[in-house]
Amino acid sequence: MKRRDFLKATAVGALGVNLLPLTYPNKLKAEDPFPQVVWVENGEPEQLLEAALRELGGMNQFVSKGDVVVVKPNIGWAKKPEFAANTNPDLVGAIVKECYTAGAKEVKVFDNTCNAWNRCYQYSGIEAAARQYGGKVTQTYNHRYKNIRINGEAIKEWSLYQDYLEADKIINVPIAKHHSLDRVTLGLKNLMGVMGGNRGSLHSNFGQKLADINMKLLPTLTIIDAYRILVANGPTGGNLADVREKKTLVASTCTVSADVTALKLFGHKMEQVQHIRIATERGMNKFDLNNLQVKTIRLAS
Amino acid sequence: MIKARKVSQLVFLFFFIFLFIRARYPYEVSLQSDLFLRFSPLIPLFDFIDQWKISLVFWPALLILLFTPFLGRYFCGWICPLGTTLDATSHVLKSPPGRLAQKWQKLRYLKFALLAGSIILALFSIHLWGYLDPLSIFNRALTIVFYPLATFLIDHSLIGLSRVSFLESPAYGMYDFFKSLIMPEQQAHYQQLFWIALFIGIILGLEKVSRRFWCRYLCPAGAWLGFLSQFRFYERIVGEECPVCNRCQTDCKMNAIPEGNVKETNKVECIECFNCGAACPSKINAITYRWRWKPYHTPIDYTRRQFITTSLASIGTIGLLNLGLNNRSARATMIRPPGSLPEEAFRDRCIRCLLCVRICESNGGCLQPDYIRTNLTDLWLPAANMREGYCEYNCNLCGEICPTDAIMSLDLEVKKKTPLGLAHFDHNLCIPYARHEDCIVCEEHCPTPDKAIKFDVKDYELADGTTRMVKYPYVVKDLCIGCGICENKCPLVGAPGIFVTPENEKRFDPLNWI
Repeated sequence: MKRRDFLKATAVGALGVNLLPLTYPNKLKAEDPFPQVVWVENGEPEQLLEAALRELGGMNQFVSKGDVVVVKPNIGWAKKPEFAANTNPDLVGAIVKECYTAGAKEVKVFDNTCNAWNRCYQYSGIEAAARQYGGKVTQTYNHRYKNIRINGEAIKEWSLYQDYLEADKIINVPIAKHHSLDRVTLGLKNLMGVMGGNRGSLHSNFGQKLADINMKLLPTLTIIDAYRILVANGPTGGNLADVREKKTLVASTCTVSADVTALKLFGHKMEQVQHIRIATERGMNKFDLNNLQVKTIRLAS
Repeated sequence: MIKARKVSQLVFLFFFIFLFIRARYPYEVSLQSDLFLRFSPLIPLFDFIDQWKISLVFWPALLILLFTPFLGRYFCGWICPLGTTLDATSHVLKSPPGRLAQKWQKLRYLKFALLAGSIILALFSIHLWGYLDPLSIFNRALTIVFYPLATFLIDHSLIGLSRVSFLESPAYGMYDFFKSLIMPEQQAHYQQLFWIALFIGIILGLEKVSRRFWCRYLCPAGAWLGFLSQFRFYERIVGEECPVCNRCQTDCKMNAIPEGNVKETNKVECIECFNCGAACPSKINAITYRWRWKPYHTPIDYTRRQFITTSLASIGTIGLLNLGLNNRSARATMIRPPGSLPEEAFRDRCIRCLLCVRICESNGGCLQPDYIRTNLTDLWLPAANMREGYCEYNCNLCGEICPTDAIMSLDLEVKKKTPLGLAHFDHNLCIPYARHEDCIVCEEHCPTPDKAIKFDVKDYELADGTTRMVKYPYVVKDLCIGCGICENKCPLVGAPGIFVTPENEKRFDPLNWI
């Protein structure tokens, strides 16, 4: 081969290699192929979930065969679904179903409720919806709260629910609600439902304490239910005038990113919500919040 | 006959326990758990003294009373769950034989004295008989002592078993099974446990002195039924072939066959257990039971002198009950269930059976048997302890289950607007006021659609010169229903920063209601 030919061939070849990504852009990129946060709106809970999971690569991305999965909705209050005090039962049911489809061995659903648990489980409709698809719905038993070393800034030790700690995968399913203490309750605050002990005492210096404990609790996937949201008199609600039907769902593998995205529902900024801001200061976010890739989908009605 | 009697005793015992266990959320009104309290033969008597009319809601007791003049104290022998429990205890404790226990016979007047005293007090509108009502005693003991104890033991043994690796899943399976069918949602903890346990413990323990000691000498329901069965038509006939071996007399639970005259029966005492017929040697078989239209009469063992003494003592008691310190501060903790009658009427109607306390446990769990704060009649009335539980916003079951309507059955929507009391902040303790830190756990839990606890947001200047925004909560009286969830959830370790008193409570007087 002549030297000239060699140079020509090299030039063409190098050009070709460099042009290749243009033809198959997604296949050769080293980055995560899925969006960091998915925002789906205008659909029923099951449709919203289906669309969100499709964008995130399906439930198989999160749940493997034989996994014990904990689905942690908000079942805190003895209120019917239309009052938007608890997570939408249809969404919880659909998530349980998806987990089993993905091969989960067992799907547990529970919450440390604020009102009597039997009424909360029944009124919220979550017990019935989850059981319909084989979810194991139980109250949280006192003897299964274990004292865990936290070694945080404000909290050194706290009692956490054993089943949650032992689960292979965790799906956090909060409802987006107004909360008088720190404006909103979303994914981070929902994790208080697996804490035992005197939870009320967490409310002073709330952001720091919550961040400390949440370090031990971050879930596999966070799916924020915003089918109905509560905009005042939260977190208990009880007045239909405070409920807005948003028909929205926000999902992310990063709880902080999901929460920050969901703030848009209420028109709040991250700086205004102390516990979310502190979580970012602690570096609990997986993604760069200033440059968050949110995929927004509006379902055809 | 004995077999039939034992079957009947067990059927009623288990039926009553079944009704008791069903008295929990979700409670179905179709089979009312208070049915079994309405079997109490004393209720129609004292209800009549209270209202001067016969209430048909007490139909089980009325039915029993209807047959008593003909059949005698069959209730005591065949139905009463306390009697059945005593019979079982007697086997365990090995009660002495009838002859040995005979020396106590002179105490028979006591039960008539207690009944007469209760009636006299009731005529002066002081109803203390509920403390001594056998079904009330039985339910009280189940609620406060036996059921929580059984729960505790089952709970802990199953948790213990679950620690053994290969037993873990069956133990948890059993645990869930018991939780869903029998055990309460959470372990119940009650005040007055000691005294109620002592009360039932003494009644059961007296079996060591004689069989059915309680029924023979103390039970006012037994006295009332005995009073009605003096001329009982259904008689025990002893034939001529009787050799007077005295076995029936020895075997009689109630000592109702007089010594030296085995042919007669004390109709006031006999509870028709039919032990005598079975005790009669089978070769002789001298005892038969038959209807006779000209029955003989057994007088009650209660003399005029004893009656006069009882009356004087009762009048003295009435006086003394009105002389106790009327401490207004003591009222602060007497928070009654929603729908309660006005306090005086409430005390008269309440029989201290504690069914409301029982059903509350599976809901908010605030109701507790009260202790004596100023006066004997305070004892074991239901009172809310909001540090132990709270009044569940969506629950009206205490009113549904009350057998005597001391707590009126309120429509749920009415109940949600019925104040039990009013919440007050203690600014010396409440975290935002005392330490200028955020908390507002009370506001978060407040269940009314428009929250009765609201807050001001104010800047507080800290010692280092910086300012901090703090939420200072306060109570809106017109919205507060005194449910006490604020007091219950207050995160302070000891005394709460917010507490409920009966201020602003609403009582329901059926005479002036709707």
